[in-house]
Amino acid sequence: MKLKFTVNRRATTLEVTGAERVIDLLRERLGLVGTKEGCGKGECGACTVLLDGSPVCSCLLLSSQVAGREITTIEGLSEGESLHPVQAAFAETGAVQCGFCTPGLVLSSAALLADIPAPSREQMKRALAGNLCRCTGYQKIFEAVELASRNMRREKRRRR
Amino acid sequence: MREASVIAPRSLREALRAVGRKGVVAVAGGTDLLVRLHDVAAGERPSFLVLDGVRTLHSIAPRGKGLALGPLVTFSEIERSSLLRTLAPQLVEAASVAGSVQIRNRATLGGNIANGSPAGDLLPPLYVLSARLELSYSGGRRQVMIEDFFKGPGETVLRRNELITRVVFERSQNRGFFLRLAVRRALAISKVSVAANVSLRNGRVQSVRIALGAVAPTVLRASRTEEYLLGRELDRDSIETACGLASGEAAPIDDIRSEADYRREMVGVLLGRGLLRIASAR
Ligand SMILES: Cc1cc2nc3c(=O)[nH]c(=O)nc-3n(C[C@H](O)[C@H](O)[C@H](O)COP(=O)(O)OP(=O)(O)OC[C@H]3O[C@@H](n4cnc5c(N)ncnc54)[C@H](O)[C@@H]3O)c2cc1C
Repeated sequence: MKLKFTVNRRATTLEVTGAERVIDLLRERLGLVGTKEGCGKGECGACTVLLDGSPVCSCLLLSSQVAGREITTIEGLSEGESLHPVQAAFAETGAVQCGFCTPGLVLSSAALLADIPAPSREQMKRALAGNLCRCTGYQKIFEAVELASRNMRREKRRRR
Repeated sequence: MREASVIAPRSLREALRAVGRKGVVAVAGGTDLLVRLHDVAAGERPSFLVLDGVRTLHSIAPRGKGLALGPLVTFSEIERSSLLRTLAPQLVEAASVAGSVQIRNRATLGGNIANGSPAGDLLPPLYVLSARLELSYSGGRRQVMIEDFFKGPGETVLRRNELITRVVFERSQNRGFFLRLAVRRALAISKVSVAANVSLRNGRVQSVRIALGAVAPTVLRASRTEEYLLGRELDRDSIETACGLASGEAAPIDDIRSEADYRREMVGVLLGRGLLRIASAR
């Protein structure tokens, strides 16, 4: 089948069977290797992408399920050379160690902040519970989300 | 080796025509099915009947004094529905503690039911709301009460050529809860869960339904506990007795997630917490 969907704001058409996992399409057909495969069973969140803005595991998603829809991967978050505020905050607070969970965590955090601009710690924990990190202990990650939240709200006020 | 293929219908009719075919498996959110197929080689996989595109199966609508939900309604949609928050708080509580954001964004009501796990978190709420399932095939449809749908772990009365096409239930009485215990708060399957739907009148229990999850081959109504509570005030003594009774009604097993004795005891603890919450909210 011909799959038409949007990947990182770009209209994309691919010839597919429809039964492939979206993570394999992204990594192997589109070269978007920022999306990582950890467990392959929905438990670790390393393969998180945004489907119409909402975090989902791309390892449990079939290509035919994204027809006509919009996927955002970590590669689509930055604008050209300038990092998304969540990416910048992760770098600044040291929320990245081995880095394997980072793309997923950044996408989940960005989706959270799009929904709730100033989340509580409790809301952050709930929003990031599907992204396992075995290095940082999450403290720096929460600090990064808080920093990104402050920066994004300041930027928004400045633009008004 | 057969080439894996996909059928992606736009209408229910098309979907029902395909569902009975040999080697075809329906996929809703895929969060159970694709995990199950993780270690199955591509050539050995079934063909997928992808339900996503059937718009009519996504709806949340009032029906009579209750509600009718399409099977493709996701946990996240349940969590965010203001209609459900007022009419079925137990279901909303269950949907919002299950899995993770990523899972809730894909996992569906119909998948939770069809999967048939006694630990499925939406099931105890559906039992206490007296849910009725509409099962359709290309030649017609039938209605099955949720309590008659499950035969054992992973075993249901759903026939090969049928889909769950609607889930209809009563609105909740004035008090209700869903509580569960798992190894940790997120991303873990329930070891024990308890749902209740209670109405109080002049401080006494006027009606009550209690369902226990993950402590028997299927979700279980705690009918002796319900009988005991009818007409009583919710106080320390009656709650304690009810908890003891409910523990006795559970028929848990030891498995990878927990042990029978612990599960049995926790049935009482969770029921106690929920009933105390109701008693003190008066
Ligand atoms: C990491 C992780 C955590 C999880 N945590 C929880 C949890 O906390 N609580 C919980 O209850 N579950 C949990 N689950 C299990 C799963 O998410 C739920 O059972 C979910 O509701 C399944 O729905 P689905 O749409 O993804 O089903 P699918 O995987 O699409 O389908 C499951 C089965 O149901 C059949 N089916 C689906 N829809 C229909 C229909 N309309 N008619 C007939 N048959 C149908 C399919 O053919 C398949 O056999 C978890 C899963 C994962 C991977």
